[in-house]
Amino acid sequence: MNAINNDSQNKKGRGKTATIHLAVWTFTWVFSLALFAFGPKLLWDYDPTFTVIALCINFGFGFKMIMANKHHLSRMDEMQRKIQLEAMAMSLGISMVFGAAYGLIEATRLLSHSPNPSNILFVMGISYGVSVAIGSRRYM
Amino acid sequence: MKNRLKVLRAERDWTQADLAEALEVSRQTINAIEKGKFDPSLPLAFKAARLFHMPIEEIFDDEYTD
Repeated sequence: MNAINNDSQNKKGRGKTATIHLAVWTFTWVFSLALFAFGPKLLWDYDPTFTVIALCINFGFGFKMIMANKHHLSRMDEMQRKIQLEAMAMSLGISMVFGAAYGLIEATRLLSHSPNPSNILFVMGISYGVSVAIGSRRYM
Repeated sequence: MKNRLKVLRAERDWTQADLAEALEVSRQTINAIEKGKFDPSLPLAFKAARLFHMPIEEIFDDEYTD
C-alpha cells in the first residue's frame, strides 16, 4: 500500500504542477492579449512592426496555454475529465448557436449597433463554468 | 452499475481518500462510484480488482441501480 501511496502522491503532485502551468500560461496569454490590445495606442504609436511582434507573442503564448490545458486535462482522473469534456461540448455548442444568431442581429435589424465578437467569449466562459458546476453536482 | 467498493473499503477500515489514493483518482470519483452515479472504466475496475485481490465480477455487478 505504501508503494501505491507514494506513486499516487507523485501523480497528485504532477496534477498540481499541471494546474499551476495552466494558470501561469493563461495569465501570460491574457497579459500578451492586453499588450496587443493597448500597446499600439499607448506604447508604440501604432508602429506595425511592434504590433506584429505583439501579435506573434500573443499567438505563441496562446499556443502554450492551449497545450497546458490539454496537458491539464490528461492529468485529471476519468470522472473529472468526463465533467470537463461534457462542459466543453456544452460550451462549444452554446457558443456556436449564440454566435451564429448574434452575428445576424444587426442584419435582421433587431439591434442598431454592430455585434462585438468578444461577447461570444463571455458566453463561452459562462456556459463552460455553469456546465462544470452542473456536472460536478450531478456526480456528488 | 452496482458495486461493493464501500463494503470492501469498510472491511479494511479505509477512508474514501485512502481508496482514492490507492486507485489514483479523486475522492469525489470514489464517492460517485460507490453511489452508483459514475461507472468506472475497465482499467480502473481492473485496478480495483487487483487492489482487493478479487475477481472483477465480485466487485462490480452489471445491474444498474437506476
